[in-house]
Formats: sequence, C-alpha cells, structure tokens
Amino acid sequence: MAENDMHAVALKNALEEIRKTCQNIQHAFIFKEKGEIVVGDTEIPERVMLRVVDAFGSLLEKAVPIGGVESVTLTCSEGTLSFQVFGEHYLVTVTSPKSNLNYLNTLTRILIPTVLTILDKISPTPLKKVPSPKDSSQTPSTSTENLTGNEEQVKKSDEEHRGDVKPETSTTEPQAIQLMVEDFEGSRIRGLLKRSDAVYVDNETVKLWEDMFNGKKIEYVEIETLNGKTTRCKVKPIKDLKYSAKGVVQIPEKIQLTLEIKKGELVLVKPIIE
Amino acid sequence: MTKKKNMEETAMTEASAQSIVIETTTTEHLKTRLEDIKSINGVIGYILRNAKSAAIDLKDPTKLIEYAVLSSSALDAAEELSELFSLGEVDNILVEGKEVKVLSLTIGENRISLFLEKNADIEKLLKKLHTF
Repeated sequence: MAENDMHAVALKNALEEIRKTCQNIQHAFIFKEKGEIVVGDTEIPERVMLRVVDAFGSLLEKAVPIGGVESVTLTCSEGTLSFQVFGEHYLVTVTSPKSNLNYLNTLTRILIPTVLTILDKISPTPLKKVPSPKDSSQTPSTSTENLTGNEEQVKKSDEEHRGDVKPETSTTEPQAIQLMVEDFEGSRIRGLLKRSDAVYVDNETVKLWEDMFNGKKIEYVEIETLNGKTTRCKVKPIKDLKYSAKGVVQIPEKIQLTLEIKKGELVLVKPIIE
Repeated sequence: MTKKKNMEETAMTEASAQSIVIETTTTEHLKTRLEDIKSINGVIGYILRNAKSAAIDLKDPTKLIEYAVLSSSALDAAEELSELFSLGEVDNILVEGKEVKVLSLTIGENRISLFLEKNADIEKLLKKLHTF
C-alpha cells in the first residue's frame, strides 16, 4: 500500500464508483511514479502488476521527446487498455471491446483529479497519524529513542497537553490517531466471526501502541468522532494483511449507529492505558 | 518417396517465394499509403520498419533516433500488456504526449509509427492505413 493511506482509501472508493458506473471494466488500478501500487485489483497477481509498471516505466522514460506521456490507449481484438497520468498517479483500466471508452475517459479524467485535488487540500501530508486536536506549546521531551520524527513531535505535544491533567501516568501519554471507518469487510460470515462490542485496528498500530507503553496490552480504545461524540470499546487487531497500515478502523454497525458515523468517515482512536 | 519429398520442397519454396512477393507488395503499398498520409494536416512523420528495411520520414530529423526508440518501446509495451491481460491481437497503441502523439501498429511484418500533432484525427488515419 502507498505511503499515504488516506489517499489510498479515497482513490479505492473513487475506483469502485467508476467500476459501478462502467460495468465493462475488467481491471482497474492506480500506481505511483516509483512503481508503488496505491490501489489495485486484488485478483491481479503482484508479479503481473510489476510487469505492467515496468512496461509503462520504460515507455514513460522514452516519451520525453514528445513532452512526456499524458495517456496511452492500447486497442486489441479482445479489449482495450487505457493508461492515464494524473500527476504522480497513474491509472490503468482494462475494458472489454464494446465499452464506451470516451465515457470512461471523461469520467476518470474528472473524478480522479478531483479526488486527488481535494485530498491534497485537506491532507497535504499523510493522515495516518495525527496528534489529538488539542495541542499547543513546547516542553522538554522524554525518552523517544524509538520514535520517528513525526511520532516524536506528536508525542511531545500530547505529553505537554496532558502532563498537567494526568500527572500519575507514565512519561508516554496515549496519542490519538485518525483512522477511516470501515464496515466489517466481505461476507456476512466473516462479519459474524467478529465481536460486535469491539473495534478492529490493524495489527501494526496495536503493536506500535503496545511498544510505546512498554508492552502493555491495549484492550480498550476511545473513539472520538469529528462531531465530538466519544465512546470506549474493546479493540482487537485485524490479522488480515490486506489491512496492514491502511489507516482504517473496522467498527460494528451498532457502534457506528451510536456514534452516528458511517463507512468512510474519519474518527480519532486513542488507546486507553489502565 | 523421394519424388514426394521433392514435390513438397518445391511447394514450400513456391509458397515462401509467394509470401516474399506479398510481403514486398504490402511494404510497397504501405510506403505509398504513408506518403499520402504524410501530406495530411497534423501528421509530423512516420517510421516504417520490418526485418529487412526501414523507411523514415520526419519533419524534424534531429529527433529521428529518439522517435525510433519510442516507437519500438510502444510496440513492445503493447505486446507485453496485451499478453499480460489476455487482450488478444494488438490493433494499435496510441501514446499521447503533451506536445505530440504517436500511433503505432503492426501490419504483417511491418511495424509502423505515425507521429502526429495533438489535433490529428486518429480514426481517419487508421482508416487510410487499412484501406489498401
């Protein structure tokens, strides 16, 4: 997945919408300049994707004399492949022979740049981890050896803010991260296998929290919506690698109703240390 | 037995000779067709290549090598992508650049690339190329 998870989720949703409108799309995926796949069809093997990236990479390199590539259309007897460049994002769609390419191209040329522009405006930097909305001045830092620059900054501001409120806690204070709400994915059976009183966050995030609190098991989180509604619930890791570092939180329908949120919305999730 | 073999060999030689004649005719026809196409508004030039010969006509000859490399890359990418996505036989590949667009296709043994201005009518050119 891409470095910017929020972009990935939003682009995935945009692609899904395009696919709903144009039924003849057989494959659709977006990759970035360095060959990193942002959103892809799960059914396309990664090695195929890499060969696609290679093929276009070579073409992009050699197209400098024509001012760089804007688009490529490959017409074949059994379908058409379209490649479009949107800044540093490249969209590939494969359609059946009878599909209306003009319509599809018009749709993608409007929708994808619009989504990218909006995302750039609301989140010019990756949204995966953000500090809790209440933050301000500076204070000396504590042990932060294992944290990256960003996390360190987040932690510092969090500590400062809460230092006077909860002096009894350790030097590290829980930090809220911003995640996108997801339903329990896939089949009803898979949904039934999950707890209805717990939210699911990707394994890496849970591990990161636990590492930050000296291996303490994180059992509960506080969820805060953008409207200020909060709730406390159990947290479980998502074991499916597909969700690794994707910036989502799977919330049961019942909790979504209580918080008046739905799939695609952003919430702040903060681990609770007991 | 030997007689039968000889007859087969003769037939094969004839067929091969016939194929060479057809190929040459096709290439000659294509050259003529491309010369016509070149005079159409918006056409910058073309490259026609097969195993034995190459014909290149570009308004700006300084870009000859770069355009030839691009043409070859486009056709190679077309074959690769068509195979990867099981798209069948390649009809053509259109690479649209910010300044120029390139239409590449294979007719028989001939690999053709047309270099066009952005406003050139692709459908019209394809029709012209295929009508011989």
